[in-house]
Amino acid sequence: MHVFHIHYHNTQGTLMRILNAISRRGVEMPYVQAISIPTGHRVTVLLEVNVKQIGQLSRDWHAIVDVMDVRAGAPTAEMLELTADWAAAPHPPASAGVADPTRAARA
Amino acid sequence: MLRGAEITLKCMKAEGVDLVFGYPGGAIMPLYDALEGSGIRHILTRHEQGAVFAAEGVARVTGKVGVAMATSGPGATNLITGIADAKMDSVPLVCITGQVRSALIGTDAFQETDVFGLTLSLTKWSRLVKSIEEIPAVIAEGFHWARSGRPGPVMIDIPTDFLKAKVEFSGPVKFKPHARPSDVHGESTFGETLITLLEQARKPVALIGAGAKLSGAIDDLRRLLDHLQIPAFTTVHGLGAVDPEKPYYLGMVGMHGTRAANMALHETDCLLVFGARLDDRVTGDPSRFAPQARIIHFEVDPAQLDRVRACELPVIGDLAETVPACHAALRHVKLPDWSDWRDVACGPERAELDPRGLAQPTIRFLDELFSRLPENNVILADVGQHQMWAAQRYHSSSPRGFITSGGLGAMGFALPAAIGVQLARPDTTVLCVSGDGGFQMNIQELATVHRLGLPIKMVIIDNKYLGMVRQWQQLFYQRNYAETDLSDNPDFVEIAKAYKIHGKRIGEEVVREYPVSQSTGDELDRFLRSPAPELLVFDTAPEANVFPMVPAGAALSEMLLEED
Repeated sequence: MHVFHIHYHNTQGTLMRILNAISRRGVEMPYVQAISIPTGHRVTVLLEVNVKQIGQLSRDWHAIVDVMDVRAGAPTAEMLELTADWAAAPHPPASAGVADPTRAARA
Repeated sequence: MLRGAEITLKCMKAEGVDLVFGYPGGAIMPLYDALEGSGIRHILTRHEQGAVFAAEGVARVTGKVGVAMATSGPGATNLITGIADAKMDSVPLVCITGQVRSALIGTDAFQETDVFGLTLSLTKWSRLVKSIEEIPAVIAEGFHWARSGRPGPVMIDIPTDFLKAKVEFSGPVKFKPHARPSDVHGESTFGETLITLLEQARKPVALIGAGAKLSGAIDDLRRLLDHLQIPAFTTVHGLGAVDPEKPYYLGMVGMHGTRAANMALHETDCLLVFGARLDDRVTGDPSRFAPQARIIHFEVDPAQLDRVRACELPVIGDLAETVPACHAALRHVKLPDWSDWRDVACGPERAELDPRGLAQPTIRFLDELFSRLPENNVILADVGQHQMWAAQRYHSSSPRGFITSGGLGAMGFALPAAIGVQLARPDTTVLCVSGDGGFQMNIQELATVHRLGLPIKMVIIDNKYLGMVRQWQQLFYQRNYAETDLSDNPDFVEIAKAYKIHGKRIGEEVVREYPVSQSTGDELDRFLRSPAPELLVFDTAPEANVFPMVPAGAALSEMLLEED
């Protein structure tokens, strides 16, 4: 697993472009966190990617207009724990106390 | 107090816009209402896709930002192919779309689409305007990103209530981008590494792409190539960047490139790349691309580096700066004698098997047509076999003289793009070469051609098939011509006549003689020099194939030179 911190100006669509660079490659994003920092915003993503994808992603992110910087990081215990919880959780979550659990899906 | 629509147009005018293409509708009606007296000429096309391809035509031939307008919903979604085309081929383009009233956004209102979301991955920058006050800054920023660095498409979506509202307007504004730590400028310290790599090279070559034209570095590049005297070739978008009369020029490279160019690229031990992104049409199988080569890659967009393979020397920056710097670094350096390599790479043994294309009527027809073009001309090609034949036979030193949809390969591109080119270059002979499939995809733009009286010379290579797909089906799918039969094409000459455009049909027999007969020559001259729009349909046999051809997944050295 690899961690990336992308620093960006939070203008319209910039976060989506950053995440789209990942999703268009069919790479899953088990952990994404975007926060405000003194110099702008930062999104942290945890990805299972190979060396070639790392290079491609890094260059794609740098090419996005309002991306300021891209840094690599190390997975934290919290990220890995949340990722494991996400992987283990049923999709969609089961709803308690509903007589016909498929009704919501048909709505 | 001005309406948002008037402010939008004034800001566009301040960005140098005097021509836009579009199609009106409900949400964008206020913008159309403000056109009169704006100083901006609007060209009504007959489909929004025609508008965006026409805007691209202007941008591709001039280097200026092309502008297309459309209404919300289906109007906006009809722009998407053109936006994708601009992205793939680095075309500066601004699309302005109307959007439903701001209060209705997100309610699936009538003719509402999330065009901002739809085009996120296709645009360099985009904005859903959130207030009338934002309009000047958004227009300024949009045009900046469209034309700066690697040019590309921008989308500006303006809710209709902001176009109608009024506000005090103090004038257009200038945009100043944020500084970025990752911003890089012309690399001024690459000289030493460059010299070392060239001194060690025994078989250097140069590959030139669209970036050489986009940067305006053509003259500098030509001087550098004259200094190096190494085999040089271009991508389809680089055609015209190198003087084709130079003895070291080998033509186009890649899937349908020349034999000599493909062999030289496969054998090289030192590849200089100028403004090309090494896409799969050029490389063939990436894992077997230029296996011996060390790559020196001159490129303005860092995202294009190392896509196929790591390069030994990336030179990131505008070619207008890096190419002169490269030449300066090499000017007084004694480089190795590459004449033996050049003699082999550029020698007669590597020439095409059929250099005059005598066996292929379409090639002979295109050769004849191109040879009779007035000096001041632009050729557009749609997408398919005719495109590759036209590219192979293009021998001009005009960098923006051959225009086609390369990266996206969008059929239906050429006719509307030719409209844009002719409007941008009124004194130029514009030749638009299409296949019978692609011509029908935007055939409605014959109405635009007629209305404006544009003297575009339109040629249809009519083989009654989706020719390139048919070729692949013949070579790789045992001639299973599934859904490529167009034998029930309409009479294109009659369709042209219905649009009040003169048309004529000719057949292969006119090029069976070599040289062509006086009457054929006179007819072609009349066609090319007519002051009115003209259509010429060239009937040709269906099972003609484009060679050389590098099959999908093959290395460049495995090109097919002829049919089995």
